[in-house]
Order: sequence, then C-alpha cells, then structure tokens
Amino acid sequence: MGQNVRVPSLLLIEDDDAIRTALELSLTRQGHRVATAASGEDGLKLLREQRPDLIVLDVMLPGIDGFEVCRRIRRTDQLPIILLTARSDDIDVVVGLESGADDYVVKPIQGRVLDARIRAVLRRGERESSDAATFGSLVIDRSAMTVTKNGEDLQLTPTELRLLLELSRRPGQALSRQQLLRLVWEHDYLGDSRLVDACVQRLRAKVEDVPSSPTLIRTVRGVGYRLDSPQ
Amino acid sequence: MTEKQGGLRGWAAGRKGNLSRLRFTSLRLRLVVVFGLVALTAAVSASGIAYWLNREAVLTRAQDAVLRDFRQEMQNRAGALPEHPTQDQLQRAAGQMAASSQRFSVLLVAQDTGGKTVYGNSGGINGFALEDVPKTLRTAVNRQQKVTDANKEPYHLYWQRVVEHGTPYLVAGTQVIGGGPTGYMAKSLEPEAKDLNSLAWSLGIATGLALIGAALLAQAAATTVLKPVHRLGVAARRLGEGRLDTRLRVSGTDELADLSRTFNNAAEALEKRVAEMAARDDASRRFVADMSHELRTPLTAITAVTEVLEEELEAESGSMDPMIEPAVRLVVSETRRLNDLVENLMEVTRFDAGTARLVLDDVDLADQITACIDARAWLDAVDLDAERGIHARIDPRRLDVILANLIGNALKHGGSPVRVSVRVSDAQDADVVIQVRDHGPGIPEDVLPHVFDRFYKASASRPRSEGSGLGLSIAMENAHIHGGEITAANSPDGGAVFTLRLPRDGSRLTEEPDEGERNGDGGAGNPGETGGSGSSGKEGS
Repeated sequence: MGQNVRVPSLLLIEDDDAIRTALELSLTRQGHRVATAASGEDGLKLLREQRPDLIVLDVMLPGIDGFEVCRRIRRTDQLPIILLTARSDDIDVVVGLESGADDYVVKPIQGRVLDARIRAVLRRGERESSDAATFGSLVIDRSAMTVTKNGEDLQLTPTELRLLLELSRRPGQALSRQQLLRLVWEHDYLGDSRLVDACVQRLRAKVEDVPSSPTLIRTVRGVGYRLDSPQ
Repeated sequence: MTEKQGGLRGWAAGRKGNLSRLRFTSLRLRLVVVFGLVALTAAVSASGIAYWLNREAVLTRAQDAVLRDFRQEMQNRAGALPEHPTQDQLQRAAGQMAASSQRFSVLLVAQDTGGKTVYGNSGGINGFALEDVPKTLRTAVNRQQKVTDANKEPYHLYWQRVVEHGTPYLVAGTQVIGGGPTGYMAKSLEPEAKDLNSLAWSLGIATGLALIGAALLAQAAATTVLKPVHRLGVAARRLGEGRLDTRLRVSGTDELADLSRTFNNAAEALEKRVAEMAARDDASRRFVADMSHELRTPLTAITAVTEVLEEELEAESGSMDPMIEPAVRLVVSETRRLNDLVENLMEVTRFDAGTARLVLDDVDLADQITACIDARAWLDAVDLDAERGIHARIDPRRLDVILANLIGNALKHGGSPVRVSVRVSDAQDADVVIQVRDHGPGIPEDVLPHVFDRFYKASASRPRSEGSGLGLSIAMENAHIHGGEITAANSPDGGAVFTLRLPRDGSRLTEEPDEGERNGDGGAGNPGETGGSGSSGKEGS
C-alpha cells in the first residue's frame, strides 16, 4: 500500500445505522477516508461539497433510491460507483448496472470484498504509459487517458475507459466476458458477465455512431467482444 | 368450458369409446350381449309359438276340408258303385271324385265279379298307385273293427302325412261301409308348406331385426350411461393431474347427475383445501424469505465488524486479553456460519419463489472445476480427471455452487482423495456428466433417498455438521434450473458417487434474443461466496 500516497476518499451512502457504522469502521481500517450519508439527498449534497474518489451506494434508500442517485450522478459526473445490493432482488443488479454503476457488492457484505472492489475500481483511473491508438474517428490517448471522437472529448467513466483500453490493446481479437472481468473488474473466476454486457452497452452508446448497430465494439457470438477498425 | 374444449373432449370421448367397445369385459359389450340375449329369447320363443300354432291351424284346416270332401265323394260316388264294379266303372268314378274342388288324386280298389282286384285311378301326372299308400295306412283302413257303443262303424277314415321327393302329401283312405271299393286319396300340401315356409322366413327376419334393434338400443343405453361415466373419468383424471378447476356439467336428475354433482362438490372442496394449503405454504415461504432478508441487514453490520475483530486477532497474538480471545474467535467463526446459512436460505427461497435465473456463459469445464477447487484450497485433496476443451454453455456461478457443495460434501463425509471426472459423449447435444467420488464409507441405504432433502440429518445423534444442511439441496436446485440432474449412489468399490448431468447448452432454457445484448432478467451474480472459504477479491497494492 505504500506507493499510493494519496488516501482515497469514499462517500458511503447507506441508510441503516448499524451497517453504515460498521462499514465505515471496516473501510477506515482498510485505509480509506470515508464520508457517510444516510440518504440519497444528503449523499448528493455531500458529493458536491467534497468530491470523493468513489461512491459506495446502497440500493434501498428512503426517499430517492440508489438507482436514481446513480442516474443523477451519471448525468454530470463519471465518478466510479459501487452498488450495495440485496441479491434476492435479482432485478436490482440489472437495473443498477443500467443506471451506470461500475460494480456491485451483495449483502451481507464482506469488508474485504468491498475493499478489493474499491481498489480495483480506483486502479482503473490510473494512467498508463503508452501511446495513442486510432479506430476510425475514435482516438484513444493512453497517456492522457482521454478518448476523442471526431475531435470531441468523450466523458467515460474509469470502468468504460479501462474496458475500451483493454479492447484496444488487442484490436481485432475477441475477448471473452470472463477475460474482460478479470482484466477490467479484477474479479475472480466467478465474475458476473452482466457487468461486461452492461458496460459495453454504455460504452457503445458513447462511442458508436449508431449504438444499435455497432461497428467498433462487435459482439462475437459464443465468445465475447472485439474492437475493430471500421472498414 | 368453451365450445372448442367440449368438442375436443367429445372427440376424445368418442375415440375412447371405440377403444372400450373393443374391450371384451367392457360395460358396453356386456350391455349389448344382455340386450341381445333378451331380444333373442323373446323373439325366438314368440316366433316359435306363432309358427307352431299357425302351422297347426293351416294344416288342420286344409286337411279337414280335403277329408270332408273325400268322405263326401266316397259316399256319393264310390257308394253308388255296385259291389263288384268293373275296371271301367271304377276308373270313371275315380275320375269324377278327383274332379271335385279339392283336386286330390284318387285310387279306388275293389274286386270285380271274377274276384280279381281292380283299380280305379284318377290319373294325373304321377299316377297315384297303391304303392304310394303307406302300408300302415292300408292295414288300418282294411282292418275291420268291432262295432260297439263307442264305435258305431266297422271301418274308419284314416289319414297320414307323408313326404315324397321333398313334397309333403296328405294320404287318406277308407272303405265304403256295407261293402264297396276301398278308396285312397293323396293331396299335395305344397301350397301350405310354401305358406308356412314364407311365414318361417318372415319370423326369422323379424327375429333378426329384433336382435339388431336390441343391439342398437343397447348401444344407445350404453352411450347414455357410459358418456357421463367417461366424462367423469376424464374429469377425475384431470383433477388428478392437478387441474383443480375441473368441473362437470350437471344435467338431469338421475343417479349420474347426482354423481356428477358429488364429483363437483368434491373437486370444489379439494380446490379450496389445496388453495388454503398453498396460501399457507406461500405465507410460510414468504416468511422465510422476508426473515432471511431481514437477517441480512444486521448480519452485514456484524460481518463488517467481525472482520475488524478478526484482523485484530491475526495482527499480533497477545494484544488481546487471553480470556476474550476465544470468545472473539467463536463470534468470528459463528458469524461466518450464520452468513453461509442466511446466504443458503436466501438461495433456497429464490428457487422456491421461482425468481432464480440463469446467467449463461461459455466456459471450459476443466478450467471451471480447477478454479473452483483452487479457490477453496482443495487442490491437494481432489483428483481431477478432465480434459481441457470441453466447453459448455452454463451459468458458471451455479456450476461453482454445485461443485463446491458436492466436493465439499465428499471431503467432509468421505475424506480425500476425492475424484472428480468429466465425461461427455460424442453424440450431438449430449449431456455433460461430472462425477464426484469419494473414498469414505458410502451413504447408508436408508439415507440415500434423502441426501438432497433440506436440513436432512442422517441421525439425530449425529454431531452438528459444518454445513447449513442446505448444500446438497441447493446443488440439486441449481442442476434443475439448468435442466440437469444430480444422482447419489454408492460405488461398488466403496465410497459415495454423486453424478451431475447437465445439458451442454443451457440457453435452450432461457430465451435470449442476442447473447451480446443480453441485459435483461439475468440471474443473481455473486462472485465467490459459497462454501465459506472462497478467495474472492484481491488485496490492493
């Protein structure tokens, strides 16, 4: 942990007092700076004041729920968001990923798992020492960590950016969902492939000319995804 | 019940009816036979009696008329002859007698003056001769009887019916009292026989018609009885298949209508009972689901804090009060157990509620199994026999749950080495077969059918096991949702064998328009939390 001098600051939005206190305790011990909010409204207010590096967001919140908070943040911000979901509500995961979350952790939460996910998400924003690559009108600058389309800057979340970088590192080569989960999300062998699918959807919406008929990020049936230069 | 259904059911009933008509012991056949027998007996006895009476009446009338005429003619013609007539006289008299209205053949026998027997014959085609008259008749006619009070004449008129060349004849003979020729007559009874024959034919046809009518009636009766019975049967079968809303249409007030009404009442009562039970079942299921849901919130808080305690334990020994340390360890380990239990409970409730979904992916089975074993640090204890390159389209998380439970169970009860083998036949769409075999004592026969039951403990005295008691049941549910199956057996070489059978392509069970665009109702994804010792997450740098 030594090389990372800057202590990452987190915003934990969770309505249950016990969970909030316990997670704050656990995450603080893991070396994070934690700010907490008990409701979505408080969380959004705090977000504007403090600008954390990452948000840990409970789905079940009084007032505006986690999905709505997620959607509101995404309107203006590309901050990484990790959802805390109840797994029995299966649809939660899907809705959460569609509303723009980068990852999710299922309750009951193991602090170590949450910490690992937080660190993995934060690593996505780290810069790489590499050059630029061009795919049609899309230019990926690896050193500046920016992506431009027709000269315009694209607002990508760290996860979307990392996914695009991993795909662009192996142009024309199909990567399986499990591979992408390991490369981008740093999940173990049992990653949820829906994370990849949801992120690809979002990425296509920003990168492709016509997101419904993608020319850059292609689906390879039975395998996964591939980044192609348009013909 | 719609028209269409009714029609369909009618058709089915008809087909069924045909089948049951073929059955020898069927009610329909028995009815037809009984009706037929009754009709046959009645018709045969009625026709028999009718025929007999008719025959007697016809014959007697014809006979009486002929004999009366014959007697008359004998008196008038033969009586008028001299005592010893000549052949010519006799012949003429016979001709005259035969010309009477009855048209019989006549033979007169007398003795002429010379004592020679002379014959007078009415002629005709056949030529009525004395040989045509039966001997017995001749004797009876020629016998002179004593004259008493009861018997006033010495000679009588005798008659007999004979059949010659298939034609019935009436032959009669008598002597003229007081000396005269003996006269014989023969009269064909063919017209009468013909009449009687045609009568017999008509009676036979009538009997046949009565039989057919009886059979038709029996059919109709059988149908009116059997159709409701068959409908009842169909309804009972549907009820048995679980369609509790099955009801019969009640028409009429007969016993069958009563039966239908009883059936309807029974079905209604059953439906109500089942609905009540289902509601109670639902309620208890919902309760378990809600409860496990509710347990999760405090458990999340406890788990998070327990990890803090755990790290404290691992940090430096001695930093904690030795009195407190075992207590903390207990809390840590029991919290983990509680976590697993709640996790499994929620998994089970998800299956019960039918909300469990598959999240399919193409995986290499050997890799997947290796990863599963590796993640739980079982590599030393498990012997994997699987070639790489066997791909299947399954839910990797669910496969992991199945394998973790099967292998974990084998390790716990059977002991190492546990052998895991993967087989797939070459056939198209063949199932993948994964076998987990241990080298323990095996499973007692009486426990074998219950190993997949929830919370089943082999015996009450058995020590509390590590597992939640839900593991194998969850493994089974996970196999089922793939369209697969798990079976448990004992190997003849000792040890228990669990065989998991999964279809190679699970996507047939879920309708996904495009795998690349699937973002709909996927399954629950929760990486690496099964079996307790998962290695989920990586320590950050």
